Amino acid sequence: MDPASRPKRPFGLGTYILLIVGVTIVGGVAGAARGLLGDHPGMIGLAVTAGVMSAAMAIAFAACIWWWRGIDEAAREAHKWAWWWGGSGGMAVGAVLLLTLTFGDDASTSAEVGFSAPDLVAGGMWTILLFQLAGYSIAWAVWWLKHR
Amino acid sequence: MNNRLKVLRAERDWSQADLADRLGVSRQTVNALETGRYDPSLPLAFRIARVFEQPIEAIFIAE
Repeated sequence: MDPASRPKRPFGLGTYILLIVGVTIVGGVAGAARGLLGDHPGMIGLAVTAGVMSAAMAIAFAACIWWWRGIDEAAREAHKWAWWWGGSGGMAVGAVLLLTLTFGDDASTSAEVGFSAPDLVAGGMWTILLFQLAGYSIAWAVWWLKHR
Repeated sequence: MNNRLKVLRAERDWSQADLADRLGVSRQTVNALETGRYDPSLPLAFRIARVFEQPIEAIFIAE
């Protein structure tokens, strides 16, 4: 391989396996730390939760940068296209669902069945995220199928 | 945009994986380039020209 075109990071199957193991360990440690230390009442628990989650997200973001620097331009183009069209499309579909539930006649029943405000916010966030991820995955596959 | 990548690669008896390795891209990207369904960036076009030791306009043909 031309040294000038070599990806600016280690690559190969072993590297990806190590990355998955590393991310799993970081996620596990963050979850355990939040579970063990974040249940303190008041500001201490809040600070511990925010600190642990910030550290985990910073590590995850650093891993994303490292991964992005190693993929080639077509792979980047596929991800950018999927992020815009798939992510936006998925978000639009998810938003229809969420807004329908939010403004529908049954909106008041959520409190009656025991959902707190944070539960609803988290539920909405995860719903949109899942729709975005589904749209992203479909769009990514479509991009590569169109460019075969 | 059309190109002569497949012909040039065949003349050298390289596989798509060989060319991908020389260019520092994936085999899937080489396939997308050869079918004309993905146009390379200018830096990659220059790398391709360097690998085949030909000017860019001898490899890529505007439709």
